[in-house]
Formats: sequence, C-alpha cells, structure tokens
Amino acid sequence: MADFVQLSVAGVSIGAIYAMAAIGFVLLWQTSNTINFAQGEFVVLPAFAMVLFFVIFRLPFAAAMLATVLVSTLLLGWGVKQLLVTRLLRMGVLPLVIATIGLSLLIRYSLQQFWTPLALPFPAIFSRDPIRLGTIVVSLEEIGNIVFAAVVIGALQLFITRTKLGWAMQAVAQNRTLASVLGINVSRLVTITFMLNAALTAVAAILIAPVYLVKYDIGIGLGLKAFYAAIIGGFNQIRGALLGGLLVGVVETLSAAYISSHFRDAFALVILIAVLLLKPEGIWGVKEEWAS
Amino acid sequence: MALLEIENLTKHFFRLSALSRVSLSVEPGELLGVIGPNGSGKTTLFNCVTGVLRPSDGHVRFRGEDITGLTADTVYRRGIARTFQLIQLFPEMTVLENMLVAAQEKRGTLLSRLLRREEAETTTRALELLEFLGIAGLKESLASNLSYGQQKLLDFGMALMSDPQLILLDEPMAGVNPTMIKNLVGHILELNARGYTFVVIEHNMEVVMSLCRRIVVLSQGERIAEGTPAEIADNPLVLDAYFGR
Repeated sequence: MADFVQLSVAGVSIGAIYAMAAIGFVLLWQTSNTINFAQGEFVVLPAFAMVLFFVIFRLPFAAAMLATVLVSTLLLGWGVKQLLVTRLLRMGVLPLVIATIGLSLLIRYSLQQFWTPLALPFPAIFSRDPIRLGTIVVSLEEIGNIVFAAVVIGALQLFITRTKLGWAMQAVAQNRTLASVLGINVSRLVTITFMLNAALTAVAAILIAPVYLVKYDIGIGLGLKAFYAAIIGGFNQIRGALLGGLLVGVVETLSAAYISSHFRDAFALVILIAVLLLKPEGIWGVKEEWAS
Repeated sequence: MALLEIENLTKHFFRLSALSRVSLSVEPGELLGVIGPNGSGKTTLFNCVTGVLRPSDGHVRFRGEDITGLTADTVYRRGIARTFQLIQLFPEMTVLENMLVAAQEKRGTLLSRLLRREEAETTTRALELLEFLGIAGLKESLASNLSYGQQKLLDFGMALMSDPQLILLDEPMAGVNPTMIKNLVGHILELNARGYTFVVIEHNMEVVMSLCRRIVVLSQGERIAEGTPAEIADNPLVLDAYFGR
C-alpha cells in the first residue's frame, strides 16, 4: 500500500508537468484551431534555454527562470504566431498542422546539430532527500513539482475566469465570429494565447529538466503525452487536460513499476484508445455541438 | 448627413456575384427595412458592412468616415452592432456574462482588462437592458439553457450593450412565436423612439410593414426598388422578384 501511494505521488508529480503542456495544447486549439504538433519541442527549447542561462551563464535560479520564460514567450509565443499562424490560419486547420510538424523537426534537429546530440545534466531544483510520512516516502522534488504546477494552473484558471481578457479568450473559443462582431480583436487574442502557451511550456521545461536529462529528442515523447492527455481528458476543457495529464503520469508510473517498464508508454495508449471508443469527447470533455 | 452610406457595394464569391453595385443610405433615427427573396444578398450586405466579409468593390461610409474593409471588431467599436439570422451566443457563459463580453472591448487598456473583471457601470447597463427585455430573472442561467425566444432576446440585448448608433438586425422574427414577435416589435419601436437607428432584414411582411417607413428591395444581388411600404406592395418589379410572374 505504501508503495502504491509513493508511486502515485511520483505519477502525479510527472503528470502535473504533462498537464501543463496539455493545457497549453487545449488553449491553442480552442482559441486558434491550432493543433500544435511541436508542443514537445515547445518544452525542449526552453529546457535548453534554462541550461544556457542557469548552467552555462550561471545566472541565479530565479533570473534564469525568468529569462527562460521570457525567451520562450517571445520566440515560441509571439514569434510563431506572427511568422506561421497569422499566415496559415486562414487556409484552414491542415496547413497549420503540417507547419507545426515541420517546426518540431526544425527545432529538434537544430538543437542536435548546432548544440549537442548528447544529454545535458541539469541540477535538481528541489532537494531529492526523502520525506517520511509514516511508512510512505516521497521526495521534496515530487511535492515541489506538484505545488509549483498547481500554483501555475491555478493562476491560469483565475486569469481565464476572472479577468476581462480571460473572458475574451473564452468568448473566442466559444464563438469566434460573434466575438469579432462584438469588438474582440481575435488576432490579438490568438497572440496572447500563444504567449500563454509558451509560458506554460517554459514552466513545464523548468520542472522537467531535472527529472529527465535535457536532450534534443525528449520532445517526441512529451509532445505525444500532452496530446494523449488532452484527448483523454477532453480537448475542449482545461480541467480535462489537467485530469488527462495526471492520469497519464500516474498510469505510466504505476504500470512501469507493477508490470514492466517496457510497457510504460503502452498503457497511456490503451487508455487513449478506450476513451476514443467509449467517450470520444474525452472523460471531461463537452461534445462540440456549437462549433462555429 | 446620412448615418450610413453604401455606394456601389459589390461582393463576388469566385464568379458568383452575391451583391452587385448596391447603393443605399440610412438616415439617423431611421428604421429601414431590407427585403428580398432568399439568396438576394441581404445577409451578404450586412456581412460586408460589418467587416465579416471584405467587399470586392464599392464603399461603405459611416458618419462620413470610410469604413470599407475594416475588420469586424473595428467596425463594432465605431458604433455598428448586429445580430445574426441564426442565433449566435456564447453557450457556456451565463446570460449576464454574455452581455458583459459584448461590452468589454469598447474601452480600456490592456492592463485594465487584465486587472478588473468588470466595471460597475457596465454591469448596471447590462442589468437594465435585461430588465428592459424582460429576461433579468435569467441572468445567472447558461445561455444554452434558454428557450429559443429568450435566446433571441439575449442576442438582441448583446447588440445593444455597446450603445451603438446603428443596429443591423438579420431576420429578428425568424422562428419566433406570435407573442414574442409582438414583444420584439415593441422593443424595436421603443428603442427607435429613443433615437436608435435600425436596419432590419425581415421576411415577415406584416412586421416589415408595421416597423418601417422606408423599404429597400434586393433581388439577385441588385437593388430593384425602394419606397414606402405601400409603394413597395404595388411595385410590379417586386412582385416579379417574389412570384416570378
């Protein structure tokens, strides 16, 4: 039993990071109909930026974090929106999907070619010393990741439900044409969403860098997991992406421990297939009857 | 000076011409009717005026300023609001939230919109309008849970939120029961008496005749007639367009 609890905490800890990438994924889809297949690389690039600022430039941790979020928001948020999305969005969903696949390859192999094909170690942010709660042993790193992710996701939720800008985002997600004839500048909101997504993936990068090693190709798995998480939880709901992320994290941790680590990725896929068969809108999703 | 001037407005979809060289003007305080058979270009006209579609040719002037080809959000902020033929709402927001979204971009900097959820005066205005329309009791209901007629009223209320100088109504009476029609006609007339200017696309002739003192008729993308309800009713071109004599 103690094992199970410990493993679940570890699963939630990694799942919280997946959830952040998945939430960004859902936000992009909702406000701009962009399915971002470069979401994994949107985590990897800031992770390399973090290595640059923290390990190579030796900036203090907070400054390195801020610089990473800033670079990510500008480059992957504002830059990608202006260079790719603005031009391609009016041609429909598919050209943009293909473009994001291209973008993911560009980022991945540029890092490999121009930086390093090797895995870069990254120092732990939180202590890995065990904390004992009775028979259960967890690490500060796991708890730290969960708390950090909870704060970020909570802040995002407040932004979306409590501010006018957040309302405008919801409005665009629910009815794009109506939002624009009611005076909402849809293009600017899409830019803001892209920047938010890039900030989310940057935070995910900062948390995941010490857990995984920083390597050019870790985005492949991360991007897929964010995608699974969004589909499992519900593609049109933030809470769905959160649930999906946690579920994927817990399931892969438990199946690696109890069944076989070779199958850790397979079980998330089994859930994905089950959800698609039984409840295609996702566990917490809403059927899109009102799509505009 | 006319409030809205449309000059030679033309819209092609590929080779199909949905509007060809349509001109008309709307005077301040007027209640202008636009009628015509299905596919005559009425909604395309609204779409080109409000920036939902970019016209292929021609000009739209509002309060003397050229607004041709501006984006929809800019046109709205200049003072033109509209409703759609099919009700358009934010289904997962409450009635009050729908009203507040409609008001939110009218003024305020990025920062103020980030910090404050709503201004007290905006909420007051929303509640007053809901009261006026008789759906204030539903303010906390989700928009998707309202009846068709109530949604129609909400749609209308949202178009009023920005205190627009011109309101374009696209078939406000379509699919509405007779009691609600009376209700809506009453609201439109009352607002018109308060100084709001309307252009109304409507198929229900009884309603058009009772609302409008001037009517423009479109057929196959062209303006074929204009006049008082009585003149229109006797115009052989109009009868031709409708009944294909």
